[in-house]
Amino acid sequence: MINNILPHKEITLKKIFSFEKTPFNIVMMIVTMILLAGFGAGFINYLMHGHHAYGVTREHPWGLLIAMYIFFVVSSTGLCIISSLGHVFHIKSFEFIGKRAIFGAIITIVSGFAVIGLEIGHPIRMAIYNTISPGFTSAIWGMGALYSVYLLLIVVEFIFLSRDEHKWSRLFGMGGLLVGIAAHSNLGAVFGFLVGRPMANGVFYPVYFILSAMITGCYLLFLMYGYRYKMEFTIEMEKFLMHLGRLLGLLIAILVFFEFWRFLTAIYGNLPERADTALYVLRSKSFWLGEVLLGMMIPFVVILYSKAKAIKAIIYASAAGMVGIFFMRYNLVHDTLIYPMQTMKTKEYQLVPTFIGYTPTITEWAIALGGIGICLAMYYIGENFFFLDPNKEDEYFKNYKAEE
Amino acid sequence: MAKYAMVLNYKNCINCKACEVACKEENGILLGASSHRIWVGVNEVAGEFPLLSIASSAFYPSQCQQCGNAPCQQVCPTKATYYDKNGIVQVDESKCILCSYCMIACPYDARYVDDRTMTVDKCNFCGDTRLLRGLKTTACQATCPTKVRTFGDMDDPTSEISEILRTKEYFTLKTSLGTEPKLFYLK
Amino acid sequence: MEVEISRRRFLKGSVALSVVLGGAGVSLVAKNEEKSPIVGAYGITKTSQEGIEIPTLCEICVNKCALMARVENGVVTKLDPNPLFPKSKNMLCPRGCAGIQALYDPDRLKYPLIRNGEKGSGKFRRASWNEANEYIKEKMVKILDEEKDNRSAFLFCAGEGMAEHTFKTFFQEFGSSNWLNHASLCLQTVVSGYGVTLGGYPSADLQNAQYVIMSGANRAEAIVTPDTMNLFKKTQGRGAKLICVDPRFSHTAAKADVWLPINPGTDLAFVLALTYVVLDEKMYNHKYVEEHFNDFNAYNEHILKNQYTPEWAEVITGISAKQIREIAREFMLYAPKAIYYPGRRSTFSKSDFQLRRAMAIFQALGGGIDTKGGLVFGKTLKLTEHEASSPIYSQAQARAIRKRDDAKKGERGYEDCAIVSGGGSWIGWRNRFLEGKMPYNVRGAFIYKHNPVLNMPNSAKTIEMLKKMELVVAIDTMPSDTVMYADVVLPECTYLERTDPVNTFGGIEPSLAQRNKVIEPLYDTKPIMEILRGLTQKISKPLFEITQKYDDEVRGAIEDSSVEEIYAEFDLTKPFMVSQEELNTHAVAHYPGADKILKEKGVFYPDMEKMYRQINANEYQYYPENNKFYSVNGGKPKTASGKVECKLEKMADLGVDSMPTWKNEFLFVVPEGKFRLLTGRHAQFTQSGTANNAMLRDLMDENYLWINTRIAKQKGIKFGDKIEVSSKVGKTVLRAYPTEKIGHNVLFFVHGFGSQSQGLTLAYQSGGNDNAVIEDIIEPIYGASVMHETNVEIKKV
Ligand SMILES: Nc1nc2c(c(=O)[nH]1)N[C@H]1C(S)=C(S)[C@@H](COP(=O)(O)OP(=O)(O)OC[C@H]3O[C@@H](n4cnc5c(=O)[nH]c(N)nc54)[C@H](O)[C@@H]3O)O[C@H]1N2
Ligand SMILES: Nc1nc2c(c(=O)[nH]1)N[C@H]1C(S)=C(S)[C@@H](COP(=O)(O)OP(=O)(O)OC[C@H]3O[C@@H](n4cnc5c(=O)[nH]c(N)nc54)[C@H](O)[C@@H]3O)O[C@H]1N2
Ligand code: SF4
Ligand code: SF4
Ligand code: SF4
Ligand code: SF4
Ligand code: SF4
Ligand SMILES: [Mo]
Repeated sequence: MINNILPHKEITLKKIFSFEKTPFNIVMMIVTMILLAGFGAGFINYLMHGHHAYGVTREHPWGLLIAMYIFFVVSSTGLCIISSLGHVFHIKSFEFIGKRAIFGAIITIVSGFAVIGLEIGHPIRMAIYNTISPGFTSAIWGMGALYSVYLLLIVVEFIFLSRDEHKWSRLFGMGGLLVGIAAHSNLGAVFGFLVGRPMANGVFYPVYFILSAMITGCYLLFLMYGYRYKMEFTIEMEKFLMHLGRLLGLLIAILVFFEFWRFLTAIYGNLPERADTALYVLRSKSFWLGEVLLGMMIPFVVILYSKAKAIKAIIYASAAGMVGIFFMRYNLVHDTLIYPMQTMKTKEYQLVPTFIGYTPTITEWAIALGGIGICLAMYYIGENFFFLDPNKEDEYFKNYKAEE
Repeated sequence: MAKYAMVLNYKNCINCKACEVACKEENGILLGASSHRIWVGVNEVAGEFPLLSIASSAFYPSQCQQCGNAPCQQVCPTKATYYDKNGIVQVDESKCILCSYCMIACPYDARYVDDRTMTVDKCNFCGDTRLLRGLKTTACQATCPTKVRTFGDMDDPTSEISEILRTKEYFTLKTSLGTEPKLFYLK
Repeated sequence: MEVEISRRRFLKGSVALSVVLGGAGVSLVAKNEEKSPIVGAYGITKTSQEGIEIPTLCEICVNKCALMARVENGVVTKLDPNPLFPKSKNMLCPRGCAGIQALYDPDRLKYPLIRNGEKGSGKFRRASWNEANEYIKEKMVKILDEEKDNRSAFLFCAGEGMAEHTFKTFFQEFGSSNWLNHASLCLQTVVSGYGVTLGGYPSADLQNAQYVIMSGANRAEAIVTPDTMNLFKKTQGRGAKLICVDPRFSHTAAKADVWLPINPGTDLAFVLALTYVVLDEKMYNHKYVEEHFNDFNAYNEHILKNQYTPEWAEVITGISAKQIREIAREFMLYAPKAIYYPGRRSTFSKSDFQLRRAMAIFQALGGGIDTKGGLVFGKTLKLTEHEASSPIYSQAQARAIRKRDDAKKGERGYEDCAIVSGGGSWIGWRNRFLEGKMPYNVRGAFIYKHNPVLNMPNSAKTIEMLKKMELVVAIDTMPSDTVMYADVVLPECTYLERTDPVNTFGGIEPSLAQRNKVIEPLYDTKPIMEILRGLTQKISKPLFEITQKYDDEVRGAIEDSSVEEIYAEFDLTKPFMVSQEELNTHAVAHYPGADKILKEKGVFYPDMEKMYRQINANEYQYYPENNKFYSVNGGKPKTASGKVECKLEKMADLGVDSMPTWKNEFLFVVPEGKFRLLTGRHAQFTQSGTANNAMLRDLMDENYLWINTRIAKQKGIKFGDKIEVSSKVGKTVLRAYPTEKIGHNVLFFVHGFGSQSQGLTLAYQSGGNDNAVIEDIIEPIYGASVMHETNVEIKKV
């Protein structure tokens, strides 16, 4: 039945576990299983203790799970945007990545939803009241609503892509892209609208989010292709990846430029909440090592020095890039909250409040990394049971047979 | 229908924290460091013994500012945070999904999570306790030894609070954010 | 006051309690439906729409603020200020608000206990009231028999409280002469100093004063009504200039215009120098001095001749001569609306009594006595007191004090102090007991609402004393550190569960106020009245038998009349057989309607309905300006002579300086590397009594050691480090709070923490106990305990 709607291979448990037992695959399987188990354990802990299982506090109400959620949805939007370059905007060399990218977009956002579902204190209540009592002025409501529509659209898009109904897929692709970008800038607005948080408040995040989404999309595509082709690429493929690499280099360069001015304007003028926070961030290791070195410099340098030709190196650098992106998401949440809203002592025997600390609990880590497990598992299923590569007419089933 | 607000003659404050205790007893606030609707902020006195700056060590009693343009209300996805008919920013605990967005949006650290309901709580001008019983004072106001607070209806031009706001100089906190606080500090 | 033994009469007059049979009062007491009292976590419930409010009085500290207790389904859910009371002026402080926790504290004493382990082990067995009383009776009979009916073989001691008087009646009926209370740990020297100089311990009209010197008193944290409420609405440039003299930067200092960090214990030099300036520049109120001073010339000469100049005082006090001059002049400029605030807890140093005299005289020099804006005596509404009899026991010995046999005129007559006052010298008495210097055996103690282990310097000695006593009976509400050393523990119900004696509160706006029972006592607890009823019913007859055995007089009298007739005079139960409600009804019977109003509103004063009105959302008028009692004595002091007593010749006979005089022995030396330890109040705690209050602990859960930041840095001490503070007499451990609010060789921590009673789940070992380290130094004149003359060492642990 489903096959009539969405072409796929037969999915059975046996088939799921009958993969090629290369060391890499075995490691990946074990890692995925551990991550999934972590998610399960975290989920049970959440059911038992609710928010008490988390390290969030009055002063730092959002933590790792929100960061992870953002990590996933940014990945999703990024993949969506990059894929649209091909099948929506007809940029030739990007055309054949469409399906894989959209599939990636789906699984990342689903993983994101899985994580945020456990961050919200009352997910069921959320489903009810987000619908019957919508807070239209709420960026988070807008984001939630748009991402839901977005998910719907890209799922349909994926179906049409899989069915090679390109007229429809383009239509839904267009819709998905627009709603995705809207949702995504809304996510930026979730932070940008925080009038009391000068580090976040303003236009920066909505724009920055689109940019960094595209970067994330590029990193992920490099990783997916690296995995898909076991690091052996055809000339055609290499050509495409070089294009992608150049685009990535350009985007990173813009991001560096963005960040530079962001910090300069934050420090200039010396408004304590903004400047002190910025200086504090600039003194932190996780900014320099995480965001800058892993997230930007390593990939950028590799691309720059190889003129985007060292594909393998770029793929490894993309792994570093994704770790860096994780730091960016984590820091985004954390940096927004580090400056205390209560700057005075409220207890007699207490030190004057300074920058606010936050340490995620094991439960939070389990759920957050568990989200990656969900993502990996879904990707594995997708890679093996759906048709993620372009269907050059009849090759569809030829490929399918050849692989059997 | 009213527009409730509060004036704080903060220079009277001796940082005794009677207001905090009264609030907890009246409104059944749980114990624990982060469970409080009300607080007194203290600036550590500046200078070196014996040359300390008395002026630097004021006590700032505070609570939810009952913003006229409340970020917490704007960001709430389910309208769990809403304005009641008296202009009080209230939280409907049956609608709150604990997304914590309001806690991040509030520039005054006025919100916290109630561990019983696992929803966000804050000062509601004793709206579901004393005001409901027809009292004209909040718990924090009534108990204060030096009578820091005056609570009342800004829409009623004959009210004491209107009178004070007409005749005295005051300031509000983080005014530049445009939150339009309804907690007024007398100069 | 020594018991005078009359061989002719057995009866001693004037005990305020009496047997009165009045009509039963209206019961306003809420029904206590639920017997299980623990509400929510530590009794914190949101108030609901259903409930009643009962007027009563707070008992968490000495002030007795009026409050309305909200009762919902038998559970007290909120305590609100009762605006009717002029003394507490529509406020309830944090401790008062948290009083509910005293009621619902799970650690409360719930039933009588009899010790069944080592003393101090905290091992008790639950007993019935009858068993507990029986136990007490047996031991008492044995001791009194062996001591041949020397009633003074038992010590009675009490902390301050509204029913303290009921307990004191028991002491008087019982016939002991050993009575000790908190006075010598608290306000003995200030009350005596002002008493002998001005004829009374005045209150301060801070509502109208324009200039206030607050020295050695911290009204922002040590809350005293109505002073705290009156003062701080006017400070910070709004009507009253406040000079705060305190070695540390207290909350009062934070509200002051000028803060003078005086060298601890040197206040006398400061006041003498202020006086010097005023006399030297002849700035005093000449008319007042002429009319109302005795021996002014002698004092004038004494001050000037001794050269108590600001420059002299600067060296001693650390306060600049310039500032001293300025303040003296300003004070006189504002006088008589200027107040040198008398203070309350007083005995900081050995010079304290003379300090208070000097303060009183300085105040009087400005004429600010018995006048608006100055120190006032106010008026007190009379209560009807009924003469009741208390028996006299011929075998009872006088108070256990030791006279100096070799004392000549002009030398003090007692071993440890010059004068013996009603409150006695607690540490003097205790130390005599421990050193075996008692004139006779004292073998038992009754302790009511008092925690001497934590509140008297040198805790170790107090513990030793309690261990040595053969029968210690503690009447308390909580398993305090003192209760831990009792043989029998009698649990009193808390103040919200009982009606206490109606009380009169004098002042500028005098009134009566009454503690009405809010709910029935929880558990197996009773008010002191009923505790003593049960106890005296048990012991009265057996003790009378001992009296018969050893008292010839009594035996003779019995022969002349009958056992019944004579026993009637020795019947200990008499004062306790009536209900407190009836006694109260009687006490106010001469004010029409007062009884009913006190039950319904908690507060009464004549013409209340006419005068009382709301001024604004927060404030009320009690008496119109014209009806206030600013002046009750035509501006005169209340001494017998009607004059300010500058020179007390009679005191000189007892070895006390007749005029305040600085002596070099008052200089206290802090050796290099040591620190002088100060203690004091915190706005959220009452001495040791609230340390287990969950609500208050939520605001501050332990006391911290104030140490100067730079000294702490030198010693590598950081915020929160655990520090051991030790002295000659003991040690205690608490966390460090490095701050610039205190000087280099001074340390401070809040009094009342560091409990070692395991019965107090929350307070147990939290913070440090100051009295574990404070040395037991006896003030030479009244025998008060000198609280701030202990040098301590610190070390990080
Ligand atoms: N180092 C140092 N020592 C001091 C002081 C200081 O500042 N520093 N301050 C001194 C001063 S000023 C004073 S007044 C004294 C106070 O000394 P205390 O009179 O001993 O006062 P509290 O510590 O309040 O202890 C009162 C006891 O009464 C009990 N209690 C409370 N309510 C009731 C009740 O309703 N009925 C009964 N039966 N018991 C009750 C409490 O549980 C507690 O055990 O301490 C003095 N000691
Ligand atoms: N919140 C609260 N209020 C209370 C009480 C309570 O326990 N808690 N207890 C009540 C009772 S029983 C009493 S007696 C009163 C006590 O009321 P106060 O006597 O006002 O209070 P304390 O805090 O004991 O001491 C007063 C101040 O004297 C300072 N001091 C110490 N040494 C010196 C010195 O040598 N010179 C000068 N000038 N200052 C010095 C201390 O730093 C402290 O700040 O408070 C009453 N009110
Ligand atoms: S009750 Fe009044 S004086 Fe006390 S802390 Fe609160 S505002 Fe300040
Ligand atoms: S936590 Fe509750 S009140 Fe706050 S924004 Fe979310 S739903 Fe609204
Ligand atoms: S102070 Fe904070 S919680 Fe209160 S209304 Fe304003 S934004 Fe909302
Ligand atoms: S107004 Fe009521 S709810 Fe708000 S802080 Fe005061 S007592 Fe608490
Ligand atoms: S504890 Fe507070 S409310 Fe109670 S009597 Fe003392 S000052 Fe008044
Ligand atoms: Mo006291």
